[in-house]
Amino acid sequence: MSQRIPTYSIERKKARWGWIFVAPTLIFFSLFSFYPIFNALYTSLFKKKLLSLKPPDFIGLGNYSYLLKSPDFWDSMRATVVFTLGTFIPLLIFSLIFAIFIMSRKRFQNFFQIAYYSPAVLSSVVAAVIWLLIFDPRGLGNQWLNLMMNTPGIDHKWLANSVMVQMSTMLVYFWKYVGYFTIIFIVGLASIPQSIYEAAKIDGANDWKNFWYITLPLLKPTTILVSIMSMLQCLKTFSTQYLFTQGGAPLAPINVITLNIYHTAIRDHQIGRASAMSIILFVIMMLFTWVQFKTSRADEISY
Amino acid sequence: MSYTLQIKKNKINRQSLIIDIFIWGFLVLAALFILAPILFMFTASLMPANDILKMPYRWIPKGFYWQNYWQGIRGNDGSFIYIRNILNSLIVASVISATTVILSALAGFGLAKYYFKGRAVVFMLIMATMMIPFEAIMIPLYLVTTKLGIQDSYAGLIAPFLVNAFGVFLMRQYFITFPDEILDAARIDGASELMIFRTIILPNSIPAVATLAILTFKAQWDNLLWPLLVVQSEEMKTIPLYIVKFMAEKHTDEGAMMAVAAIASIPILIVFFKLSKYFLGGAALYSSRKG
Repeated sequence: MSQRIPTYSIERKKARWGWIFVAPTLIFFSLFSFYPIFNALYTSLFKKKLLSLKPPDFIGLGNYSYLLKSPDFWDSMRATVVFTLGTFIPLLIFSLIFAIFIMSRKRFQNFFQIAYYSPAVLSSVVAAVIWLLIFDPRGLGNQWLNLMMNTPGIDHKWLANSVMVQMSTMLVYFWKYVGYFTIIFIVGLASIPQSIYEAAKIDGANDWKNFWYITLPLLKPTTILVSIMSMLQCLKTFSTQYLFTQGGAPLAPINVITLNIYHTAIRDHQIGRASAMSIILFVIMMLFTWVQFKTSRADEISY
Repeated sequence: MSYTLQIKKNKINRQSLIIDIFIWGFLVLAALFILAPILFMFTASLMPANDILKMPYRWIPKGFYWQNYWQGIRGNDGSFIYIRNILNSLIVASVISATTVILSALAGFGLAKYYFKGRAVVFMLIMATMMIPFEAIMIPLYLVTTKLGIQDSYAGLIAPFLVNAFGVFLMRQYFITFPDEILDAARIDGASELMIFRTIILPNSIPAVATLAILTFKAQWDNLLWPLLVVQSEEMKTIPLYIVKFMAEKHTDEGAMMAVAAIASIPILIVFFKLSKYFLGGAALYSSRKG
């Protein structure tokens, strides 16, 4: 048969190779992405203890209703939402400003890009350790803030006060990722054709009008992308908060959802409850991703 | 007429000069804010602990207090386990980079250049895994690794990260524009599909491969959460875990702490400054993900 219709067999052979090339990756994702998420969904319906040998009890949505009534869970949600809002809004604003300012310079563009990006290269553990030392009562944090506000000798309790410790984690995260999002904005800016600005110049537009009526509207897709990406990242934050609590900061104000999942599973051995929290986190993030896909599709810009 | 025009021009010049100075000042101040903590880490790593927390901070160390580095590498218990932990990080991150590149390239090639039934579904399934955050599946993954008995081992550290959807997407996008004629010509010359992949596709995708390898390596160098779950023994710890442990120990002084942090950062910073275009390009690639 293969001799009679040669093209058919070549197509079949090619199709087979397509499957062979894709197979390892597909098997991997089935084992390490799809199975675990279904497993988490399944486990979240049981009262299951880590290391316990007796079969878990099926309790339906018991874990979820427990969580929705648990003040500890709502504290985590609050900590996560506050952290996400408090971090992604400054990230968005400053990375946009940095990108526009850098692109407006004729020289040192590369230097600033590399300088701003460099904290993103450090591991988040290193970042947290450096800032823990800066936030020491005798450290640089107090020295800088006192210098700026002209209040010599005051301890701002960066790690002790429950409001300040939240601000501190936001500052660390902002410091680490602002350069990363600046680069993404720069790519977005670079894709706006120069001819549009030239046309506007002929029409008598100044820099400010250029920014307001050309740059900002055309950057809308990038802005949406950066907001969603930074929000998703902030929702998953773990390292900074973990290191801060290890370094002596109070847990309650920065007990973000990932930290709570970790503690619930590893310290309290409540696998079922931790899985329910994981599923809630998953659903929240899926909603955001869905919004990202929707908005980025609707905002396709062609020049 | 020309006189008033001159004045107006001067005014505009002065205005733009002020804006210019403002922008430069802003950029330089921001750069100082961003670079200061990194500089702080390196200078503090060369100072005795007493000097680090003295006000005001001396940005230039009086001398080089190398004992911090010795103390950091030796560890508080003198076991030199940090060297082993650095090696672990290198092994884990390198193996994961290699498997990610190979599997992503294979899958990306298969999806870009072969027509088979269900290809669109396969692609969608792979992309869908991007929506599953690792933090949501870490507990089931942890249970699987304990069931398989690979916790506290390289296999356990590596297994969940062999390949990722972003890599597949990146490689597919890269291959999709590759001319089919070249592949067909090779087939007519009798090359097998694997040979085509090895001798034509891979050598022609160095930039994409390098970007993916570097981004993957960096992400793994940074990984804290998963090692925290699967590693129990000191011997299997990676750099982030050593830092967490070292920080929590009573006898750790600030200088040695910064030395440990500096040791963890120097290799990745050198790679970054040498290959910054791949890092910056990588960030840019993420933004093309929406397409």
